[in-house]
Amino acid sequence: MSEPGEVGLRADGLSVSFDARRALVDVSFEVPRATFAGVLGPNGAGKTTLLRALLGALPHAGSKWIGGRPAYVPQAGAVDNAFPIDALGVVLMGRYPRLGWRRRPGRADRHRALEILDAVGLAGEARSPFGTLSSGQRQRTLVGRALAQEGDVLLLDEPLTGVDTPSQEVILGVLDGERRRGRTLLMTTHDLGQAARVCDLLLVLNETLVAVGPPEEVFRPEVLGRAYGHELLLLGGYTALVDDAAHHSAP
Amino acid sequence: MLDALDTPYLQRALLAGLLIAVPLGLLGCWVVLRGLAFYAHAVGVATFPGTVVGVALPVLGPFAGALLAAVGFSLAVSAAERDHRVRGGAVTGLALAVALAVGALLLTLAGAGVAPVEGVLFGSLLAVSNLDVLACAAVGAIGLAATARLLPRLAATTFDEEWAARTGAGDRVAGVLLLGLVALVVVSALPAVGSLLVSALLVVPAATARLLTERLESMLWWAVGLCSLEVVGGLVAARALDVPPGAAVAAVAGAGFALATAGSAAVGFGRRPRPA
Repeated sequence: MSEPGEVGLRADGLSVSFDARRALVDVSFEVPRATFAGVLGPNGAGKTTLLRALLGALPHAGSKWIGGRPAYVPQAGAVDNAFPIDALGVVLMGRYPRLGWRRRPGRADRHRALEILDAVGLAGEARSPFGTLSSGQRQRTLVGRALAQEGDVLLLDEPLTGVDTPSQEVILGVLDGERRRGRTLLMTTHDLGQAARVCDLLLVLNETLVAVGPPEEVFRPEVLGRAYGHELLLLGGYTALVDDAAHHSAP
Repeated sequence: MLDALDTPYLQRALLAGLLIAVPLGLLGCWVVLRGLAFYAHAVGVATFPGTVVGVALPVLGPFAGALLAAVGFSLAVSAAERDHRVRGGAVTGLALAVALAVGALLLTLAGAGVAPVEGVLFGSLLAVSNLDVLACAAVGAIGLAATARLLPRLAATTFDEEWAARTGAGDRVAGVLLLGLVALVVVSALPAVGSLLVSALLVVPAATARLLTERLESMLWWAVGLCSLEVVGGLVAARALDVPPGAAVAAVAGAGFALATAGSAAVGFGRRPRPA
């Protein structure tokens, strides 16, 4: 165990059940501060449930600890694209949790939101209606909303799924900058190759925690085989994942 | 045109209409954006039996009777909709029909002449009292203050419920308060437009406003402006053509929406999303 000041995120025997169905069983891990951690696992492995439990939004057994304020990027698809709001307005929403009931975003909040839009490459789209942005631009805006929360721990649920490659690179660049600033990041993903490339630490989940460690330790056929089972194809040195990320666009 | 509104009862009608247009327009935007239009219409209809009981029992009065019916209706529908087998407005539609039936039965039982049925269903804008005007002013102030206070939470929750709920940017309280405010505004607008037509002033100006702008704040102000215009236009038309004002106001609102739809299609505001 590390010293408390060096831990960004910790789960100890975390379990979640929906009615009789177990979604997460006895998950324990520790993510050091200023680490970019990836959560891998097949559909239904409990990746989203893990993030929600860490946010304290689900009844759970065991304990969890977050080193500071959390910020959150939920899975795409739940957002109302027809809502009348521009990109700047969406990023400003990230300030609401801190402002509470009484205060409205002020000049400093707007200034910060514009800086964030610039960082995600959308300085020119500040006044564009959210619904008219491309899906990659929309996702960059939603990452911007989480940045505006100025949390110490960023929880991201498949922020790169269904996003064009240039937008993915912008988002990953911004997230790397956050890590350098001492923020702890936990991102679920379906892209094993990308996770190996960008993450310092990987958690392989399939209801229970199958493995946790740096990519070179986790990316072994026997480890991934235990998590993904028949969805994983091992082709002479290459690992191919047969997966359908498309289920997330279903309601 | 405005000398058509030269008598005291017309001026009182105009004042009441303009005052209640403020909360109708503001709350109507949230009704439209959150997909609550059918619910709002049903709350209006649900006040019908309450108003009849209120008129028959002077100790209660029509305002309290209608408000009790509206609140009772909201609670009953939210409780029944917890059963996920009957969703998609099924319970709302059912309760709406029941409310209309109960209102008709109560009216017969109470005896003809207790409550003028046309006035209850379609409003009697020309018969609004000074007390009605005061009620509209009070509810207008409450609606304005509440909308301003709830705006960030309602916006965050309506735009992205998952994010708002997990981060504390929005919560269920704002949504419940909204339903309560809608019930209050609907009841206050009853003397003017009646239980069957109240949703015309709650839903139509906001839906029209949505076609005219892509910004929430301007949608709110457009809705208030359109609602006021429709009240004035309806009163002028009612006076000129000698038709019931409640129906005239609703017809003007419908014409406004048709005009905005045609304009939106021709000029192209209300842009489509770009392809990914």
